[in-house]
Amino acid sequence: MTQDPAEPPRSAYDGPPPPPPPSPPSLEEELAAAKAGPEPTPSIETVNESLRDGLNRCPKCGSTDVQLRASTGQLVCLFCRHEWQEERVEEDFGLGHGIEELEGTVIASGAADIRADVSDVVTFKCGGCGAEVSVDTSSAMNARCHWCRHTLNVNEQIPNGAVPDAVLPFKLTKDEAIARIRDFAGKRRLFALGRFKQEFVPDNVLGVYLPYLVIDAHAESEYRGVGEVQTRRWTEKQGDNNVTYYAADVYQVERQVKYTVDDLTMEGSADRANIAKENTNNIINTILPFDTKNAVRWNASYLVGFNSEKRDLNVAELKPKLEDQLLSIGRSQVSGSLRKFDRGVRWEQESIAVGGSRWVAMYLPVWLYSYQQQSNGLLHYIAVNARTGETMGSVPVSHPKLLLASITVGTVLEGIAAALLVASA
Amino acid sequence: MIDLAQTLPQVLAQLAPVLVPFAAEDSPVWLLLAGPLGGGATYWLIYRYYRNTDKSHEFERDTLISAKPVQGGETRVDHISRTRDKDIDGDNSSRHRQRVRRIH
Ligand SMILES: [Zn+2]
Ligand SMILES: [Zn+2]
Repeated sequence: MTQDPAEPPRSAYDGPPPPPPPSPPSLEEELAAAKAGPEPTPSIETVNESLRDGLNRCPKCGSTDVQLRASTGQLVCLFCRHEWQEERVEEDFGLGHGIEELEGTVIASGAADIRADVSDVVTFKCGGCGAEVSVDTSSAMNARCHWCRHTLNVNEQIPNGAVPDAVLPFKLTKDEAIARIRDFAGKRRLFALGRFKQEFVPDNVLGVYLPYLVIDAHAESEYRGVGEVQTRRWTEKQGDNNVTYYAADVYQVERQVKYTVDDLTMEGSADRANIAKENTNNIINTILPFDTKNAVRWNASYLVGFNSEKRDLNVAELKPKLEDQLLSIGRSQVSGSLRKFDRGVRWEQESIAVGGSRWVAMYLPVWLYSYQQQSNGLLHYIAVNARTGETMGSVPVSHPKLLLASITVGTVLEGIAAALLVASA
Repeated sequence: MIDLAQTLPQVLAQLAPVLVPFAAEDSPVWLLLAGPLGGGATYWLIYRYYRNTDKSHEFERDTLISAKPVQGGETRVDHISRTRDKDIDGDNSSRHRQRVRRIH
């Protein structure tokens, strides 16, 4: 991590831009070229070849009755109890290294563009008895053969965006999730909507794998604005009052910073990514981050017994959000260099250059309790990160109760204030 | 009533810094704002505690970030010799997500 001395001068900031040099191309030209060119094709192949036929057999006894055992995070054979796991993608696909050397947009095969014309239904020929078995990939990744009870898994990546590169297995059990949800709601009973309290059944919690894109990137951002340093402070007597005055130096401030981000995580479903006042999606966003370094190669057996949601956002659609988050990260990085400006800094301009990014699609595990408020249709969630246990939620509030409490507090404070006034008069 | 004991101390702890300036203010008539302000703050704090509308993933802090030393500079361009403002207008140095004009 040393400063690169061969950094070219940032000509764009030193007044009017000079005529463009013949080579190398400027950042703007490179960006324009990147925008004009075709979207890059996947450059990390993540398909789990050994599972192509849809049958995930226990390596010990050959049974297909395989599912996740949450307490260990391993796959377990329900027939012989043998436990094993897929390899971590971090090492398998070399995701931990080379962030600084990334060039352009590197996309793993499971994060490739979704194709709307590809059906959600995948049909397998059962390897056990030859029957045809269908799986609707919009919600499930497994199905049982009706005839011979073999479990068939969607393990082959299909271009409909249903199969990600990696999956982070559930770790918290359902009982642990219920306890956390109960605790969260329990602390928020007094002002909760009466109906919510009556209808609250945390056992209805659902284990859901939500689609995310996990991004490594390196970037450089720049910020320009105005900062003020206090030079003097004095008080003047005006009538009965003392008035404080200040004198200050005004500076034009400029900051640049280069950085890498490792495993920045973004919602891959447009519904979940839409964080607005009309929904409570921010709750699901708040339980990030996950220990994404422990994600393993895709194997649909990890999904047995859980729901899953399909990704519907492509890399190109999330690039503006990446730039936005990188700008915020850069702002937070330079904030430590502003202590001199004790009257504050007002940023007015900013820029970002993403040198390279790598995108991997992952299923991440969430326990979700949801409650639809009847009066306004709002869907409230209590979400538990099924790896870290972080819990966040939205509990519908009874406004009459809350108003009554506020008026009570206000009245008590007003009473104290009046008493103090009378005493000081 | 268990949750009353859990909720109210939390609310009062957050309320205290809001109310302290009133006690210190010279002009005691300001004290009369304590009622409406305290009531409003109570409403807002409890609502936030239940609905968490202000929460989101703090990726600036909770992502693995490795930054090189910050570069840059500053030039003195002006002097304010007398103002009652105790800080700069529009300070956004800690509002990392408030976007400003993109220069490219
Ligand atoms: Zn077995
Ligand atoms: Zn069969």
